[in-house]
This record gives sequence, C-alpha cells and structure tokens, in this order.
Amino acid sequence: MSASLRHFLQRHPGVVRLGVIAIILVVWEIAARYFIDPMFIAPPSRVIASLGTVWTTSGVPEALRVTLFELAVAFAISTAIGLTIGLAVGLQPFARRSVMPIILLLYGLPQITILPIFILIFGIGPPSKIAFGVTHGTFVIIIAIVAGVQNLKPILLTSARSMGASRWQILRWVVFPHMIPSFFAGMRLGMSGVLLGVLLAELYVSTRGIGHFTTMFTETFDPTKLFGLIAMLAVMAITLNEIVRRAEIRFSRWR
Amino acid sequence: MTSRDAAVRIKSVSHQFGEAGDAQFVRALADTSLDIARGELLCLIGPSGCGKSTLLNVVGGLMTPSSGGVEVAGKPVRGPRPRDIAFIFQENALFPWNTVIENVRLGMLFQGVPKAEHETRAKKSLEAVGLAEFANHYPAQLSGGMRQRAALARALSLETDILLMDEPFGALDEQTRMILGEDLSVLLSRTEKTIVFVTHSLGEAVFLADRVAVFSARPGTIKKIIKVDEPHPRNPEFVTSEKFTALRNELYALLHDEIRKTVAEGA
Amino acid sequence: MEFRKERVGAGGRAVQIGFLLALLALWYLATNRWGVNRLLLPNPIAVWHQLVDVLRSGEFWPDLRVTLTELAAAFSLSLTFGTTIGFFVSRTGYTIRVFDPLFAGIYSIPIILFLPLYVLFFGLGPASKIALGATISFFPIVLSTIAGFGNVDRVLVTAARAMGASNYQLFRYVLLPAALPVILGGIRMGFTVALLSIIGSETLASLAGLGHHIVQLAEGMDMPRMFAYIAFVVVIAALLNGIVSFLEARGRRHA
Repeated sequence: MSASLRHFLQRHPGVVRLGVIAIILVVWEIAARYFIDPMFIAPPSRVIASLGTVWTTSGVPEALRVTLFELAVAFAISTAIGLTIGLAVGLQPFARRSVMPIILLLYGLPQITILPIFILIFGIGPPSKIAFGVTHGTFVIIIAIVAGVQNLKPILLTSARSMGASRWQILRWVVFPHMIPSFFAGMRLGMSGVLLGVLLAELYVSTRGIGHFTTMFTETFDPTKLFGLIAMLAVMAITLNEIVRRAEIRFSRWR
Repeated sequence: MTSRDAAVRIKSVSHQFGEAGDAQFVRALADTSLDIARGELLCLIGPSGCGKSTLLNVVGGLMTPSSGGVEVAGKPVRGPRPRDIAFIFQENALFPWNTVIENVRLGMLFQGVPKAEHETRAKKSLEAVGLAEFANHYPAQLSGGMRQRAALARALSLETDILLMDEPFGALDEQTRMILGEDLSVLLSRTEKTIVFVTHSLGEAVFLADRVAVFSARPGTIKKIIKVDEPHPRNPEFVTSEKFTALRNELYALLHDEIRKTVAEGA
Repeated sequence: MEFRKERVGAGGRAVQIGFLLALLALWYLATNRWGVNRLLLPNPIAVWHQLVDVLRSGEFWPDLRVTLTELAAAFSLSLTFGTTIGFFVSRTGYTIRVFDPLFAGIYSIPIILFLPLYVLFFGLGPASKIALGATISFFPIVLSTIAGFGNVDRVLVTAARAMGASNYQLFRYVLLPAALPVILGGIRMGFTVALLSIIGSETLASLAGLGHHIVQLAEGMDMPRMFAYIAFVVVIAALLNGIVSFLEARGRRHA
C-alpha cells in the first residue's frame, strides 16, 4: 500500500469502517446467492431491489405509520411522566432515598414477562404498544433525571442562596439549567427504551401491525420481504436514536 | 573518557516525531553526544519540550532514535535492557492492584531473577528506602513520596548497573522532594550505580548531580555541562553554601533564555 | 453521570415496606371487593395457590431446563467471542477507532428486531433463541473488553516492558488485572441482556421455554396460573442476576 494511501486511511478510520461494512455486505451477498438455500436468506442486492414491493404490500405502509405514531406517543408520555416524577422525587431528599430503591426494583424486573397481560388489558391495537413502550421508557428517564439532580453540587445552591436567591429563582437559574444535559441524556435512554417496548409489543401481536407482516413473511418463507421490512424498521430506529443523540450533544455543550 | 569508563555512550542522537510536512512534526532532539562515566550521577535539565525525556527513553531502549545510537556497557541499545537498565517514571508506574512488596517481586519476575532470591532482595531494597513496614500496603494507601520510594525499591531490587529517572519527584511537593533528595543521595553513595536523572528543578540538579547537562530549547541539544565537585553523600548544609548558590546561579543564567524562547514558541 | 445509591433511613424503609403492603392490599381489594374483572387481574389468593401448585408439581422443570440451556449456550458463545474479539481490537488505537463505534452503533438499536430473521433461518426451536441471545449479549461484552484493555495506563505497560516482561507476563500480570473490573461489569451486563433476550424471544416465537409457557397460559386465559408463572420467572431472573452480580464483585476484589 502506498504511503499516501496509508496516511489517508490512518486519518480517516471512518472510511475503513465503511470498508468493513462493505466487506460484510459482499460476504452476505455471495453466501446468500450461491451457498445458502434461498428459503432462509436473501442477498442484499435482492433485498434492496424489492424494497418497493415491500412498500406496496397492502397494509405495510399503514403498519409502519402506526408504529411511528406509537413510538412518538409513547415517547412523549414517557418523557412527561419521567420528567415529572424524576424531578419530584429527585429534588426531595427523603422521597429520593425511599422511592428510588422501589423504582430500581421495578426497573430490574424482566418486563417482557408481562407483555401478554398488556395485550389482554389493552387489546391488540396501538394502546397496548404505547403502554408497553411507556413502561420501558419511563423508568430510565426517572433514573437519569434523579442522577442529574444528585450531580448538582451543593456549593452551587449555597452560593446562590448566599446571593439572596429565592426558591423559585434557584429552581429557574440553577437547577433547571443544570438539569438540561441530564434531561437530554434521559430522553436518549428513554427513546431506546420506548423503541424496545413498542417494537417488542408490535412483534408479539401477530394479527395486526408489524407483527402481522413479520409472521406472514416468515411463514411464507419470504426472506427478501422480511429483510426489507426489518431494514425499514431498523432505519426508523436508527433515525429516531440519532435525533435524540444529536439533541443531547447539542444541549450538553457546557459539560 | 575511555570506553572502559563510559557506562553509557550517546552518539549523535537526534529524534523527530512525525514526518516533515505533517501538522504534528516536531524535532525533539538535535545531534546530541555525551559519554556518561560509570558511577556518576548525571542530571539532564532544560526547558519543557527540549528533548531530555526523549533522550532518556532513547538511552533506555524505549524509543529508537531517528538517527544516531546509544551504547550501554559496550553494546548498542536496540530495545529495553532489563538486566542493565532500570527505570523510574514521574507518573509512578506501580501496579495499583498489587501491594508494595508484590510490585517489587513482580519486577524481578519480569527480569528473570530466580524465584528463590525474590524475597531476600525485596526485603533488602524495601529496607534501603525505608518502607519495610509498608510492604503489604497498596499504592493507593501511600503518599506520593512513599510511592516513589516503592518505585525506587523495585528498581533497586533489579540490581542493574544503570538507573534512569524521569522527573521522579516532579509530582511531589517541595518538602517531600527535599527529604527524598537527601535520602537518595545517601542511598546512592552506597551503591556504584550510574544514574541519569531528568529534572526541572535547578536546586535538585545541583544538589544531586556530579555533572549537569543543560539543554537548549527545542530542538534540544546540550548547551553546556557543569561539574559539581562535591563528594557523596551530599550534606544537607551544602544547599546553603556559597558554592551551591554560585552553581545554581550559573544554571539559572544558562536556562533563563532557553525557557523564555520555549514559552515564546508556545510550546 | 451515574445514579448513586443512597443510604435509606428508618423512615425511608417504612415508606418502602408500606408501599409494598399497600400494593398487595390494593390488589386484594381490587379483585375481591371492587369487582375488577378476574379475567384481567386474578385473585391474589388464587395466584398463590397456583404458584404453590406449580412449584410442588415440578411442572416448571422442562421449560426451565430449556430456558437455562439456551441461556448457557448463548452466554458461552457471546463470552468467548466477545472477550477474544474485544482483546484483539483493543491492541491498537486505530482498530479501536474503527471498530468501537461500529459495535456501539449496532448495539444502539433493539436487536430483538431481527428475531423474525433468526426464526426464519433457524426455526422456532432453541437454535434461534441461542443465536439471537448470543448476538445481543455479544455487544456489551465486546465493548467493555475493548474499553478495559484499551484504557490500561500506558506507563504501566512501558514500565513492565522496561523491566523485561514477556508478552505473556505483560498480559497476565499487567493487562488482565488492569482491565478486569471493567470487563467483569460488561460480562454481567451481557448475562442480564442474554437472559432478557431469551425470555423475550421465547415470548415472541417459540415452542418451549418459560417465556413460551407464559404465553400459552395467556392464550388459555388461565390468569391465576399465568401470574404465578410470571412471579416464578421474575424470581428466577432475580436469582440468576444476583448470582452473577455476586460473582462480579468477587472477581473484582480478587483482581
């Protein structure tokens, strides 16, 4: 390898990373085309080529739209509840010390076990998916907010008080600005949680929504369409994650 | 100095980091040559970035110079020489998960000292540095000065002819430095090791060294070598003598411009 | 920014105990006095009886065995590959810069999304659960291994080399003890995640295992027994996680 090429690659690891991804795609392509039964796996070229047919499969765009809607609503609700409870509990030391262990206990439970109950209570439509997403997102947000409050150096409160700040002023000018990075960190974690919860619920219900199509494509051994659908969902997940991640970086600059 | 008396021969060593034309290109060291006598304590002093640590790393075989070479005990240095050279670093390279005595033993394990000798050598060197009671403490439980004593014990237990010390007291406060400097002088007067000692402190250089090599600003080269003709172990009162002050002033005069030059370049 | 567990005083403990008791009381009242639909929320006494029955009859054994086997297989795979690949990636700064963001990026989306693909390829049997569990738990392990070995203080490596340490000695006496606390944390996380993903995939698409059994009971509308099984699974999960946490703490202390 020439010296200048090596230099370029050394300064741009991202290019090598893309190269690694490209190699994986090539291996996948060759394996799927020539070595593995086409019933089980589809080469990326065919997946990309038939994305259009996935999209035009009746009901798929609708299902994707509904999923996006569920994600948005679950995220909004989680953030609202998580922020409220997080601040209420976090700012009050006694509440924090006694309530947080309960929250941690609930957070540590494998929530997937109660997914069937959610479906039984809320039905197979969006409400159950939203509810399941909310339970996944809320806990992490509460924990992140409380961690942010714990992080607030008492000396900042002391110095504000010594300058004559009222309770409201302290909240507005000391606590709130301090909490912004934690808030965005919480939102990032909350989005991951909501994604997990909503997608789990969607995959579980095999009669409506995404789960209907994943089941259908699996049972008809149509890996091409299955890959395509899941790829679309993955792109949705990555995009939403990126949005919150970028927002967090943007608003956490002073850290 | 004949080749028999020279423990270390530095021959036209120069070093640069990066390629010419790079953003990070730095000429650290320019054509430096020096012979270090057996049993002498040589100090390297100079402004920040003048290459003294680089030179030390080259002598110790931790770095290969861009040009030139170093001979230790008559053989060219091509890599670490654990049998001949022991190191003490500024950032205290004690392994935090091992106790003091375990650290000392580990050094001997790396060097290849037979297991049977580990215990006796370890105890001996810990006593020599005054840490015998702290053998089973962890580094985190010790003060900065004690940690450097432990590092010294580990280096001594390796029984090398040459000891290289890179600003070993740099992270310590003034008082600890003073005590450690005096103890080091006493300790080393009993051995016949050849020591190369990098420091920023003028007083430390004059107090400890037989010779002080003063470096210029980057790219560094030896500007002048000053002799300190005073027997070891150095008396603490030496510090207040006129001779000390005169030598220190001479160092100051040599260094002041170089330091200013370095700061002006935004080093 | 990490959440810090704070010490709970007597008053706090009282709140926690009170909360749990209140919850149980509400549950009892809701089903026995307030006429909440038994099909949604079973009588706690009935649940208790079912739980005792499940334990006494040993009916859980086959499913438990399936789940534990899947877990063991998945975790062994991810442990082996995660630590090995992580170690080799950590060897140069460049490989870290290339691969670490790649692994972190993939881990940021809910990989359970790919379950249908695994089911299509491996079938509904244990193989798909093991494969998915291994895939998901690979990431926290590889990431923490890279971080652990990659962040070893350089001066320690230099000092060891200067003292004549061989490659093996360097690994055994410097790299490993330095990296171990971080790696153990990642391994614990990997275990937790493997357990969750296996129960999850059993819930979504399986023929056996604890997750599957819960779904069966839900479909049969056997609410008391389903709740009993959920409680059982929650306890098993807590137990396993507790053991792993304990081992992690032990490992850290002896490092």
